[in-house]
Parts: sequence; structure tokens; C-alpha cells
Amino acid sequence: MNFALKKEMSPYLEQPRAMPVGTAGKMGYLYLGFELDGEGRSILRDLERHAPLIVQQELYFDEAMPQMPCVYILSSGGPNVDGDRYEQHFVVRENAYAHISTGAATKLAKMRYNFSALEQHITLEEGAYLEYLPEPTIPCCHTRFIADTTIRIAPSATLFYAEIYTSGRTHYNGGERFEYDILSVCTHAERPDGEALFREKFVIRPDTCSPTTLGKMGGYDIFANVIVLTPEEHAERIYSLTSPFIDRERRLAAGITRLPHRCGLIYKVLGCDTGQVKRLLRRFCSTVRTEVKGKPLPEEFPWR
Amino acid sequence: MFQTATTLMRLLEFTDSAFPVGTFSNGLETAAEEHIVHDAATLEHYTEDIALQSAYTDGIAALQAYRHCRKGDYRLILETDKSLLCCKMNSEARRMICRMGKKLAELSGHIFPDATISLWLEDINQRNTPGTYPVAQGLLFAACSLSERNLFCSQQYGAMNMVLSAALRCVKVSHFDTQRILFKLSEKTEALYNDVRELDTEDMNAFVPSIDILASLHEKGIQRMFMN
Repeated sequence: MNFALKKEMSPYLEQPRAMPVGTAGKMGYLYLGFELDGEGRSILRDLERHAPLIVQQELYFDEAMPQMPCVYILSSGGPNVDGDRYEQHFVVRENAYAHISTGAATKLAKMRYNFSALEQHITLEEGAYLEYLPEPTIPCCHTRFIADTTIRIAPSATLFYAEIYTSGRTHYNGGERFEYDILSVCTHAERPDGEALFREKFVIRPDTCSPTTLGKMGGYDIFANVIVLTPEEHAERIYSLTSPFIDRERRLAAGITRLPHRCGLIYKVLGCDTGQVKRLLRRFCSTVRTEVKGKPLPEEFPWR
Repeated sequence: MFQTATTLMRLLEFTDSAFPVGTFSNGLETAAEEHIVHDAATLEHYTEDIALQSAYTDGIAALQAYRHCRKGDYRLILETDKSLLCCKMNSEARRMICRMGKKLAELSGHIFPDATISLWLEDINQRNTPGTYPVAQGLLFAACSLSERNLFCSQQYGAMNMVLSAALRCVKVSHFDTQRILFKLSEKTEALYNDVRELDTEDMNAFVPSIDILASLHEKGIQRMFMN
């Protein structure tokens, strides 16, 4: 995908002075292919990676689902910097299952000339199950970031995909809140035959239109978006088990609604504490996993 | 496009809140109940956020449908309709725009005959297309030779006025407050139009998580002040 063609990125097309776009080490690539082996165990069959994206091997550490491969994506380059382009492909083949996260928060560094981009392709075949819960994304001051995620999912598969965006480095230099230049995030899904399911895009440009207003962040610092694509019978039970709320004391709010074309649900969370938001997402993920796989999500590791 | 007295009268008629296509509060009931919108200042911010997110979704779709209609490209009208529905994350909002779109298509059939709108209504009834309100507005304005700018202003006026009219019944504000807010926010419409007119359906975007959560509370709640 040529992100330079996106209208919202047109002010940020200068070549970075240090290392131009496309330089080795600035084009991260990752391909993860999961499938069932001969004994019916889900394994990471295909792994291709180009620095700075790193995945070493799958681990089986989930106590509730010890048969599930868990993968942490790491970045050897530290934060995403000016002109970085990352591409990730996750494929979960028929009836296989997997859990993917990142080793730490994704920091988006200050950019002066260009922007950083992430292209993702998530493919789930019939009966496949994928939990993708990366750690939060932290956009620092004057960063520019664009992400495009294409989901191709079979009707009987389930995807849990959560994204958390903070307002910035809230404990750095007196606190950064929405001081970045642009955040453009698009997630869209389709069936294997090409039938479009939904398309969500948000573009935040704090300089031209404040994201802090009442209808947007409404005084909160952290925003999380969870896409759950699953067969309708699962979606309806998850929907009925999940209550929207506004908790002024904890400064936490969440809402749920059905996605177009009966393809699943979208769960949105606003908060001021990353730990609280992450815990809420894990609780929601546990509801989804219990409904689809009959197992809850175990407690998060204390160091996470 | 030259504005005659007739086209101006059409614009007033289609934009009037008495034009019987229905109205929705866009989550305002819950915002008022949660005391998030509680006075003129908070109502103004809320209305502006609604107008903005509507401009970058419904506004773009309405302009695209208008252009495709003027070019006679019916296939692209249907694609715009489907694209807009895919962008509406909130299920109540989807129900709202489809109900109003169908009503507008039916209403226009009673007012004046137009082959494209009739065909589109047939496709709505056959479930070949969702029949969204912004697309219906685009078709109607194209059929009546109203300008693109007229269409966008009408769309924006409708979005703001729906919230402000509902506010009179659930927020402690007066008619003076709501008219002042409308007058003030209208001054931003020209700049918004100049931005939105360059965009297409690929560029449709919305960022109103707070309103989305309010809409979810409304969707799962039982209190109703208005049609839903």
C-alpha cells in the first residue's frame, strides 16, 4: 500500500534526512501463519520476519488454553521513527487458533519530515480463532502515524482485535496530551468472497480539530477500540453479557454495539489509566473466549 | 449552478424540520441524562461534534451520490450507499439513516416523479441496497437541480437542527440558546464544505468515541424520549 497517496498524509511527504523511506531496517515485515498439525495442535507453521520486527517462536504459556500458540511481536528499533514502514500478515488457517501481542507499548517518536506507517493483513479461515491484543500505542509530540488493517474472515471464524491509543507521554516533560500531528487509523473487513463487512476510519489532527471535546475524548486520555468478528449466535450472547457504563469515580467508560452486516461487535473504551483500560479489555476478551472456546482468559502476568 | 426562486424554495422545503422524514436525537437523550450536556455551552460542543462527524461521513456520501446521479452512474450510487452503511459503526445510527432514507425516497415519489429515485426505492424494497438518508438527499437535490453547496448546507443544517430541537426537550436551554448556537456553528460550514468536497467515500471517517459510548448506553437502555 502506498500511504503517501492518502490525502491526509500529503503534508508529510518530505524524505527524512537521516535514512530515506525504504532503507533496510526501516521496512519491517512479518508473516505469521498458524495451522493445525497432524495431531490437531495449533502451531506457528510459517514465520518470516525482516528487522526491525522480530518474532522468535511461539510459546504455549496460556494456562487456560495450553494448546494455544502465543506470540509476542518485538521491535528491535525501539520506537517507530520518521519514514518507517511496517507490514504484518497474520494468517490463521482452518480451525487453528492463536494469541498475538506485543512485548511492550509501541512508541511513535517525534517526526519532522515524513511519517510512520503500519499495514496489516489478517486472514482467518473457517473455524479459525485469533486474539490480537497488542500493548498500547503511544503517540509522542509531533508524530505522524497511519495504519491500515485489512481483515478477511470466513463466516465461522472469530477474531478479537483490540487497539489502545494513549494521548501521548503523559508523564514526560510535564505531560504530553494530544500533541501529535496526525493519527490516521483504518480497519476494514470482508468475507473471503469479497463481500464488504465494515470499514472504520478515524483521523485525528489535534492542531486543526481538538480531540478532547465532549463528543470525542470527553476529558479522557486513553481510547481503546475492540473489533469482535464472530458468528451471529456468539455475537448476540456476548452482546447480552456486556453492559455499557460510565464510571465517573474510576474515570472509565465503555460501550458496545453491533457491527454492520451482523458480522460481530465493536466495543469502545475511554479511560485515564492504561492499566484499568487493559484490564477491562482482558475481561471483555475473556467473555469472548468463554463464549467461543469455553475457556476464560487467565490473569495477566504481573510484569505486563 | 444558478439559483432561482424555485430552487431556493426547494432548498427551504427539503431542509425544513417539518419535512416529514423523521428525526433522531443522536445520543443527546443519554448525554443529558448523564449530565454531560447540561447547558448552552456543552450543547454547543456536542452539536459541533455531531456536525463534524456527520460532514465527514454523511456529507461525503451525499455529495458523492449527487455527483453520480448527475453523471447517470447508478452503479456508483449503489456503491456509495453500501460504503456509507459499512462506515456506520453504531447500529441505531444505521437503523436511523436507513429509515429516513427510505422515507425520503417514498416522499419524493409523492411530490414529483424521478426515474432514478424510483429505481433506487425499488432496490431498497428488494433489499439490494440499504437506502441511506444522505444518499437519498444527494439524489433528491440532483433531481431538483439544486447545487452541491446547497446539498451540503442542507445536510449540515439537518444534523445540527436535529440535536438542537431535541435539546429543547431534554436540556435546560432556551430557543434563544439553540438559535444562537445554530447561527454561530453555521459560520464554520463554508470551510467544512471546502474540505469535504475534495474527499470521496474512501476518506469517510469519524472519531466520536464519547458519543459512541452514549449511543451504546441508549441502545441498551430502556428510556426513550424520541422515536428510535
